[in-house]
Amino acid sequence: MNKKIVGIVGLLAVIAYLIILYTIKPTAVIYGIQRAGIYAAVALPMALILGIVHIVNLAHGEMMMVGAYITYFISHSLGLDPLLAAIPTGIIMFFLGLLLFQVSIKHTLKAPELNQLILTFGVAMVLSQTVNLIATSQPRKLSLDYVSASASLGDISFGIYDFVFPLLALVFFAFLMLFLKKTRFGKAALAVGQNPRGAQIVGINVQLTYAVIFAIASMLVGIFGSFFLTKFSIFPAVGGAYTMKSFCLVAMAGIGNLPMVAVASLILGFAESSIMSIPHGASWAPMIFFVLIIVVIFSRSLKARG
Amino acid sequence: MNRKGISLMLILLMAASMIFAQGGQDSDTIKFGGVWPLGDITGEQASKAAQVAVDEINANGGLLGKQVELIVIDSEFNPEKGAAAIERLATIDKVDFFVGVVSSGVHLGQIPTLKTYKKITMITGAASHLAEEAIGADQEWYFHLHPWDYNQGASYVEGWNAIAEKYSEISIGRWFLAYEEGAFGSASFEATKALFSDMEIDGEPFLSAAAGGGDYSAVLQRAKAYDPDVFIWAGYDADALPLLEQSKAIDFDPALFVGAPPGWPADFGESKLAEDVTLYGLWAPSLNEISEVSAKFYNGFIAKTGTEPATYFAPLGYAAIQIIAQAVEEAGTMDQDAIIAELKKIQYESPTGEVISFGPSNIISNQGIRNQKILQWQNGVQQVIWPFEQATSEPKYPFTPWSQR
Repeated sequence: MNKKIVGIVGLLAVIAYLIILYTIKPTAVIYGIQRAGIYAAVALPMALILGIVHIVNLAHGEMMMVGAYITYFISHSLGLDPLLAAIPTGIIMFFLGLLLFQVSIKHTLKAPELNQLILTFGVAMVLSQTVNLIATSQPRKLSLDYVSASASLGDISFGIYDFVFPLLALVFFAFLMLFLKKTRFGKAALAVGQNPRGAQIVGINVQLTYAVIFAIASMLVGIFGSFFLTKFSIFPAVGGAYTMKSFCLVAMAGIGNLPMVAVASLILGFAESSIMSIPHGASWAPMIFFVLIIVVIFSRSLKARG
Repeated sequence: MNRKGISLMLILLMAASMIFAQGGQDSDTIKFGGVWPLGDITGEQASKAAQVAVDEINANGGLLGKQVELIVIDSEFNPEKGAAAIERLATIDKVDFFVGVVSSGVHLGQIPTLKTYKKITMITGAASHLAEEAIGADQEWYFHLHPWDYNQGASYVEGWNAIAEKYSEISIGRWFLAYEEGAFGSASFEATKALFSDMEIDGEPFLSAAAGGGDYSAVLQRAKAYDPDVFIWAGYDADALPLLEQSKAIDFDPALFVGAPPGWPADFGESKLAEDVTLYGLWAPSLNEISEVSAKFYNGFIAKTGTEPATYFAPLGYAAIQIIAQAVEEAGTMDQDAIIAELKKIQYESPTGEVISFGPSNIISNQGIRNQKILQWQNGVQQVIWPFEQATSEPKYPFTPWSQR
């Protein structure tokens, strides 16, 4: 069977599943979209770094956490709504990403991958411990009226604010696709991602490209942190789980494949919300995540063999 | 001088300096060694409150004519660091008494070291009965202020039954417990089922924000469908506000909305979502209205730190120092047996609104507080609604619907 037919059959199966799910448990579909939005928004910046700079950034979740804390302090001290504070946060995170790249990441670009992992893990520890020293481990949360906005569908009430995450993911996705496909710098970055030596030969400044891409990813994950703060409590260790989920989603999608990151996020979001809609199923949601990862890795290795 | 002579002289000098150092310490100060998690609000405030007590004692002339010193080490919620702190306080700082601890896990790590030194110890946290089993019977130097988990459970049953009996409109027949899926939440669910076995109980786990979760939509939808009289969630302070926001988003407002985290976010009361939320605790600032000791502690804490005590671990930290100090004064000596004898007789009027005395619990000989209080957020303040003799307000019932906020 050719790839196109497999794709169409797969798509029809997914649509049929969602229709059945919606009929039985409409909230599972709603929550699935919302969860997928969170996953996609946080994983897209990591996919950008991995696709172009070829670094697995284990400090990704911690960068999100730092962005959330910056927004918290801006909002708390200036009375600015966190969604507006996302703008200065994004700018600060861009330069923080640039600084981080210059001070640490760039020195390990040619080092073995294990060194890169250890370095970014170290950066993650430094970031979380620094925030712990400054802000303590006490959770912080801004109480915002609009986060509780609700809608009804028949007898079911559900929160509608969380749709902000799929919207954010769409904005990130559109921005990245336009940036990479339509701008001169973006095209150069894609070339660097595919073949850094070749790109250097044709006159592209590879080091600058890496630095700017890392900074843009830091900016995006910082903005995600601002949105994250609106819904969740923040504390210094909050980022770790999101590093892991982002990394696994990017691994599922394939290195640097931004559209597949969105698809992987949807699969994970719906799988988790489906299992959570079953009584006592919430405990199984983390398991679903690992099962999906194992299935993907297993099918990839089978494909590679055959 | 030959080598032997120099060595002998050095040994004598070292011995003399150690004797003088010890002698100086004995004559100058009485030392308390405190171990709390300083990065967490519970430990941070407990240690500061203990310092408030030490300052008060010194301002009143000290103990037995000596100044009192408090040395605090951060446990960082780490059992190994908690145990190492006890070792250091005993051997290097040479403290006279141990105070502290918030977490049962840390305390379990400390217990073997505490048993090595057997100094008088006043524990402000560690509710798990596993810690009590690890301490074992006949450890007369060990005093536990905080109620054990089974004490807390028994007091919840007593409290809710008393409330339902006094206020006939309050119904408590049908319960739903949302619990974080770790050891704390799961144990709370099992304990609730056992304690309230004559009532209808259901529950559902959730992944706490502290463990990378924070989405309570599924569990709240299940709770809403169950339509309980009492909804309780057992998680952590990071879950508090998001859980309320998501309850509001799905329009879930049970008649009694109870939160049972170990601590609350410091500014929780400022949110209008906090109104009518019921909780368990040992102390609230509203006790200042009925207890002079509470008011004195509260004002002293604010004067020293510039912040309000936000958790009951603060008055427990304060009480731990004051109780030992009172026993030392009564004993009139630093002899450990004499102080233990006085501690066993003590009647300490505490900031928690009750007179603390020590008596046997299931295993240990010296258990202090046994009852948790049932409190409720009313106009941004935690009010005591049970025990009735310490109540600062009537219960607000039912929970104000989200549509009317």
